[in-house]
Amino acid sequence: MLKLLKLEWSKFSGSSIIRLLGVFFLLFFPLVMYIGMELPKLPSFLPDKLSFYQFPAIWDYLGYAGNWMVFFFLGVMVIYTITTEVEYKTMRQSIINGMTRKSYFTSKLLTVTTLSLFATFYYILVAFIFGFINTESVDMSNLFDSSLMIPRFFLMSLSYLSFAMMIGLLLKKSGVAVFVYLTYVLFIESAIRRILKWILNTELVQYFPMNVTDDLMPLPFYKYAQFLENMDGPKIVINAPTEAIIATAVYVVLWVGGIYYLFTRRDL
Amino acid sequence: MSVNLLLPYLTARNPKFIENSEHMTVLETQNLTKRYGSLTALNSLDFKVEAGQIMGLLGPNGSGKTTTLGIILGVLKQTSGDFEWFEGQYGEHERLRIGSILETPNFFPYLDADKNLDIVRQIKGLPKQDFSDILDFVALKDRRKSTFKTYSLGMKQRLAIAATLIGDPDVVIFDEPTNGLDPEGIAEVRNTLKSIADRGKTVIMASHILDEVEKICSHVTIIKKGKLMATGSVGSILSDDMTIEVGAMDNTQLLDLLRAYPGVNGITQVNKYLECSVDPSFDISQLNRAAINQGIDINRLIARKKRLEEEFLQITQGK
Repeated sequence: MLKLLKLEWSKFSGSSIIRLLGVFFLLFFPLVMYIGMELPKLPSFLPDKLSFYQFPAIWDYLGYAGNWMVFFFLGVMVIYTITTEVEYKTMRQSIINGMTRKSYFTSKLLTVTTLSLFATFYYILVAFIFGFINTESVDMSNLFDSSLMIPRFFLMSLSYLSFAMMIGLLLKKSGVAVFVYLTYVLFIESAIRRILKWILNTELVQYFPMNVTDDLMPLPFYKYAQFLENMDGPKIVINAPTEAIIATAVYVVLWVGGIYYLFTRRDL
Repeated sequence: MSVNLLLPYLTARNPKFIENSEHMTVLETQNLTKRYGSLTALNSLDFKVEAGQIMGLLGPNGSGKTTTLGIILGVLKQTSGDFEWFEGQYGEHERLRIGSILETPNFFPYLDADKNLDIVRQIKGLPKQDFSDILDFVALKDRRKSTFKTYSLGMKQRLAIAATLIGDPDVVIFDEPTNGLDPEGIAEVRNTLKSIADRGKTVIMASHILDEVEKICSHVTIIKKGKLMATGSVGSILSDDMTIEVGAMDNTQLLDLLRAYPGVNGITQVNKYLECSVDPSFDISQLNRAAINQGIDINRLIARKKRLEEEFLQITQGK
């Protein structure tokens, strides 16, 4: 397994696009939180923004920032690790040189898993740094959130990145794959959900894949929903953590299994 | 999973893995068929390659050569039929013992020669090595630290040849290796291929350049529209017929003479002379005397062995 990871590293550590995306992820993840400190005063029913940077709330807010960072920078990175191999025909050449389709697929899945693990460890590191700086007294009762934020962050990353892997392997061209990935996650799925909700009037639209993934690290203000309920406008429905975890895990298994089946059987 | 992934690292380091390799059928295909919708690219192709042969895979463009190589190298899935490498001794890791270029040299443009070759080495499961000897062999040592995207087509092709030699494979496969090269590039690649063949490797070369197949290959398989037309040693495919080129001031009289002449099997007009397929025992000095007797002024008379190109055209045009 380590040899497959080393192979991926040899292939991509020299790519300027991959390096750039990695550097941006490392920089912007903490930076976006730091910039948040400079935002103007929030509405009165929300707590003082300093509390966002303290334990345990830091896990929520940093998690939400990470949601965007992983989806964008690491998701696009995964797509590039696949589509550039199609474009340079090095995917074909890897098979010709002796890799089985199974071990090639495994190397890509390992990349996805390793990036998810790395993103999670970075989430923990940044949370500790912000949390320890801004929390007056830290003890085991306030250090960690009780709602499994760390495993949820990992699962969220795994979901975005395996979805990106599937898009990359299906669509093959960099530009098209990145475009479809970004627009589907940002716009298309919500549009489909709204249309289906309007036609079928069912709550099942909450279980679409990007929605359940997003709900693993939701906008932290959902905790203040009791105030939002009294406001006008459409209701925001967020899946409960357990439901989001199960649904996301199911989707990851389906995507990975489905694309493995296709990849081992089609022409390259 | 870990056992399957380890297997290539174990076997690829053991050069004696193949038992009795000199008498082995290195590749055998059985009824290999590939369809793309209504188009049949390969139609029940059967052929064999024995160890030590230099097999030329010949056919016009679109005949199915690259499709055949794509299937046996694992990048295309056949519609039906089978193929087997090394009599099945390596299982699914057979390609670790093969070095191949298919269609174009495929490398990472932002990496240099050493890094690209190192990726091939890792895939083959081999220990770290210095590529100086291989790069020297393909005359790329001076440019080893330049990125692939800065290479000319000839240099890219030579790097691809270098990659095929990593791990000292038992079989080397080339698909149109001199395509797009200038005469100097073609000569370089041809010489490199000859050296590889001289090292005793089994070579499979797809080409439509019959001249180089004739010069390099020991055996040839001819394909047309996905069907096998002929397979065998170059010597057996080439008939014993000779070809004579004969021309005169007045070719009309000459043509009449040749039509009636014993031992002449076929006549074609080529520019200002006539090309004839004749029996191996044909005596051209006798033809010369006969022409003089009839007052025909011969200005060209050459006898030569039939070229593979003529044989090839005859086979593929069904004459």
